[in-house]
Amino acid sequence: MIITARELVKKFGGLTAVDGIDFAIAPGECFGFLGPNGAGKTTTVRMIHCVSPKSGGELKVFGRDASVDDREIKKMVGVIPQENNLDADLTVHENLMLFADFFDLPRAEAKPRIRELLEFVELTGRMESKIDELSGGMKRRLLIARALINQPKLVIADEPTTGLDPQARHLIWQRLRELKKRGVTLVLTTQYMEEAEQICDRIIIMFKGKIIREGVPARLIEEEFGREMIEVKDSNDQAYHRPATLEDVFLKLTGRGLIE
Amino acid sequence: MNLSYRAFYVWKRNLVAYKRFILPTLLVSLGEPFFYLVAMGLGLGAYMGLFGGVPYIQFLAPGLLISSCMLTSTFECLYDSFVRMIHEKIYSSLIVTPISAEDVVAGDILWGAFRGIISGLLMYLIAALLGAVPVSFGVIIELILLMVLTGFLFGSMAMIVTAYAPNFDFFNYYTQLLISPMFFFSGVFFPLEKFPVWIQQLSLFLPLTHAVTLSRAIVAGKFGWALVGNLAVLLVLSVIAFYLAVISMKRRLIK
Repeated sequence: MIITARELVKKFGGLTAVDGIDFAIAPGECFGFLGPNGAGKTTTVRMIHCVSPKSGGELKVFGRDASVDDREIKKMVGVIPQENNLDADLTVHENLMLFADFFDLPRAEAKPRIRELLEFVELTGRMESKIDELSGGMKRRLLIARALINQPKLVIADEPTTGLDPQARHLIWQRLRELKKRGVTLVLTTQYMEEAEQICDRIIIMFKGKIIREGVPARLIEEEFGREMIEVKDSNDQAYHRPATLEDVFLKLTGRGLIE
Repeated sequence: MNLSYRAFYVWKRNLVAYKRFILPTLLVSLGEPFFYLVAMGLGLGAYMGLFGGVPYIQFLAPGLLISSCMLTSTFECLYDSFVRMIHEKIYSSLIVTPISAEDVVAGDILWGAFRGIISGLLMYLIAALLGAVPVSFGVIIELILLMVLTGFLFGSMAMIVTAYAPNFDFFNYYTQLLISPMFFFSGVFFPLEKFPVWIQQLSLFLPLTHAVTLSRAIVAGKFGWALVGNLAVLLVLSVIAFYLAVISMKRRLIK
């Protein structure tokens, strides 16, 4: 197991964001944390990549205690953040070059790797662009390249396609699947059921800091609904016969009320 | 304290980013103290006799150059650090790498100190062109060492304020209530001896007073054992301020 959590708790003052959860993630797996806003997904992954100390329980990453060996763990992890935090004062190339420094990568190794990574995310020819000149999708792809600069064994993607158009989303999914093929362990958080069905081997559905379901996406749907379902619309009294989706599971488990 | 050599990477990041702003920021950091030097040193100085045995501009220059260092590192670690932390989210991007929160804070303070030294040296250059300070290798080295300490101290103090700042307006309390008065009650513009005793005693609690005393002694070539006390004050305050800056900033960054 590459990550194991037992009774993991995170509190912010009086608020319990993560409430005693257990999970284990195997090498090479793509593991998804699903849940509505405020469910505790981001808080959980922030604990995994050691920028948020746990309040209780146990969390091991690469067999190391996440609250003790943070530097060692961070050396082996790549993080694709939810919000763009690219360095707007620098060019694309400078962004990557500095990150190579941060991981103590020698220049001679960094240069070819940056070229490869820019190819991988289809940003070749954008080396000297300023960050402001990139589109939203390009910025997200650059964030992926930046996260891979240290050739991480574990990549954490926090809502990697939120706010992107369909083309940009598909390109990112394709790249994430490619990483998985290369043996990288992927951990991602998402609110999009489609995203989880597209790339995750296993998912956890979180709600109010707790895990409410865990399993393989397709099987979860089957367990909750069977293969197909009938949707009845109030407005016109018509019934639709359609395959059940993960979204149905999600709404069934977390309720239809607005979550704020 | 989880400090490492990686603080240097943070300093380097700022240097790479700085290339694009070098001209405007140099002008800004030169601006105010430069006008003081010309307006007061030459203008006001023309109506005054000797000041402690030297023309007024020679009295003024050592105090102004160290104040310039103080102001630049202060503003760098207030406004610029705040922008990097809140608006540009640079800090959050750094701490997911092997760079720790402590390294980030230390690196940014070192950068503030570095900017302060550059300002101080530019001021020295102008003062030298006006004939207000002696040009000698020894003086320059001693001044640089003093500016390292001054920049580090005021950078650290400003960083403590930044750690608690909800927005830019918050900085006014610090700059208007502490930094500006310090500028006038630290013996930069006139000797403190004619002040009432209680103001003189109060001024001893202002770190700039000690930096100005040291700067003036260095420029006069009279740096000696009598000044160990001033040096010790700056050193002790630096250690305390740096420690407080790191722990308060870490609390803000790591939640």
